[in-house]
Amino acid sequence: MFLNMKLLAQHTLNGFGGMGEGMGMQLARDGRRVLWLAHESAPKNFTAVDVTDPRALKVIAQTDLPHAQMRSNSLEVSGDLMAVAYQVTKLGLKPAGFELFDISNPEKPKSISFFDASGPHSRGCHQLWFVDGKTVHMACADPELKPRNPKDDQVYRIVDVANPSKPLAVGRWHLPGTMDGDDAPPPQRLPAKFDAGFRAHNTNVYPERPDRCYLAYIDGGIMVLDISDRARPKRLSHWTNSPPYNGFNHTALPLFGRGLLVVSDECVQDNGADWPKLVWLLDARDERHLVSVATLPAPPAETFKTRGGRFGAHNLHENPPVPGAWRSEDIVLGTFFNAGVRAYDVSDPYSPREIAYFVPPSPEKSRTGQIQLNDVFVDDRGIVFTVDRGGGGLYALEMKV
Amino acid sequence: MNRHGVTPDGRTPVVVVTGFLGSGKTTLVNALLRKESDSLVIVNEFGEVPVDHALVENSVEKAIALPNGCLCCHLRGDLEETLLGAAMRRRRGEIAGFDRVIVETSGLADPGPVAQTLYADHALARDFKLGPIVTVVDVFDVQSRKVSADIARAQIAAADVVVLSKVDRARDFSRIESEIRALNPAVECIPAQYGVVDPTAILEAKPATERVFRPASHSGAIRSFALKFDKPARRELLQQFLSTLVELRGKDLLRVKGIVPVEEGFVLVQGVRHVFDRLRAVPAAGEPALVFITNGVEESEVQALWNAMKGLS
Repeated sequence: MFLNMKLLAQHTLNGFGGMGEGMGMQLARDGRRVLWLAHESAPKNFTAVDVTDPRALKVIAQTDLPHAQMRSNSLEVSGDLMAVAYQVTKLGLKPAGFELFDISNPEKPKSISFFDASGPHSRGCHQLWFVDGKTVHMACADPELKPRNPKDDQVYRIVDVANPSKPLAVGRWHLPGTMDGDDAPPPQRLPAKFDAGFRAHNTNVYPERPDRCYLAYIDGGIMVLDISDRARPKRLSHWTNSPPYNGFNHTALPLFGRGLLVVSDECVQDNGADWPKLVWLLDARDERHLVSVATLPAPPAETFKTRGGRFGAHNLHENPPVPGAWRSEDIVLGTFFNAGVRAYDVSDPYSPREIAYFVPPSPEKSRTGQIQLNDVFVDDRGIVFTVDRGGGGLYALEMKV
Repeated sequence: MNRHGVTPDGRTPVVVVTGFLGSGKTTLVNALLRKESDSLVIVNEFGEVPVDHALVENSVEKAIALPNGCLCCHLRGDLEETLLGAAMRRRRGEIAGFDRVIVETSGLADPGPVAQTLYADHALARDFKLGPIVTVVDVFDVQSRKVSADIARAQIAAADVVVLSKVDRARDFSRIESEIRALNPAVECIPAQYGVVDPTAILEAKPATERVFRPASHSGAIRSFALKFDKPARRELLQQFLSTLVELRGKDLLRVKGIVPVEEGFVLVQGVRHVFDRLRAVPAAGEPALVFITNGVEESEVQALWNAMKGLS
């Protein structure tokens, strides 16, 4: 299925095509464009693909995790540095935190340092944001904190990596009431079938507002944090759709020139069990008073809901402020698992329109028997790269709008 | 991908292929499909035997035949329904995607009403936009056009591209080309043997003002001319100007199209008779001007109206 998108190439990444939600582009010194990809689960750590010619994708590096009880679901590239998140499957396991790599020679990534966040109440780092070469903003457990509910372990953390060989934790924030010792009462949890936790997910910080973090907090909604004092982030505002919706707020993407915030949910259950999972447009002209003005037109539920696998919103192209990335304040792209990758015109925020989509055929190794597009990255040539969570690997698409 | 300040347009273009019976429309459509297969073809059948439909070499799901009759005013409802249904089925995944729609009209159709359908129907305009109007002209058989001269002239006047068919059978077709340019001076004429043409030149033809506009010699009542703009116009004034023109002489505006500078940038103007597409922001391209192809409306009258409105605003 397609509208205004054309497949240029697909690569199943040497048979390890189950991909996570980390996609970072490196403009290598020799002129190549290298796309670094995180894997959804063990045994692979990350894969580098030469995408200079998007019609001829080439794997140039692929690495293994130290053991199978961990995953590196997220990564980010800044210049010749790459940060890779490590999350473990059981509390207390190692390595839990993130690792910094020198990728100046893309074929031979070299470890520079490791930031340890392991502990008896820690599953490590699920997601990180690293775009300025100096600071990692991440959703990661802090061994100093003990969550009242084990699902609430990952908080917002700021780590200074100006000296990449010595990462230094400089700040953190968590939802009051979620940790032992908090004065605030514990938050009201969603019904058990939707209770995914009150913890951080995406932690976006942009050069336009280096003193703000746009923080998605899963069942806790999204927050705008004042991080002008990195040691003591302060919450400026909060918006949630759940209840009555089913939680798992994933990303808060600011469109600064438009005074908008784009908020995506994440679908985490198969066969539409947690539908609807949507993308919301918020009027953020007053950052202290966020107002929902629209949702992006959802793919037709009658077609996808019971098709198999997950169906609903997930990752957005986050306008990363890095060389090689495309940035737009009029077009928003997101992945919707079995409903593919989709693009929306939000130039009229009260009436967003779907303008392109691509739903690949089911890959051979898919557990669900369906495509499960997980993440999307658009480069400054307008090439749309998207990855499958199941086994389809990487898809390069041309968008014609 | 979009440029800053230009509204992205994800609508699917509807290419209208028109031309007299036997002029080579189906040959052309088949040739286009061989190179650009992701097209939905809507064939307008005319007569007892749906010859054209049988010739369309494409997958069944991508070829739709409209009921018997001419794709003109009284069948526009069918076209609307067909297009809306196709958009819905594409969205639901019941048919594969398509990058464009090619509507092959019957030989006796005036393409104007098809264009009007796309501009006037708001439900349709969410998913579709008018693409190039392609008129196939048989350079060998001049006689058949003379039988229905008004329709032939309307087809040529409305065209963005004229495909000259059967050039292998005519020794000299320069006279035909001159006749075409007398009706539609900015139109691109592409010679084709057995429908062999560059599909890009046809399917992605740009509005006529992006090409050099040559003043027309008059042919009967048909007039063609360009209204030029020395400085950016106020968008509201341009809208009022077009509305006034439509109110006064809408039925005689065979085609109005072009790119006009406004205070915020540039807008694309497209209209057929009484109906105009909404003004859309576009990047600058070529010399900004509005090209008129009219039935008896003179350049001096249009220029005078614009000058008067500009002066009073």
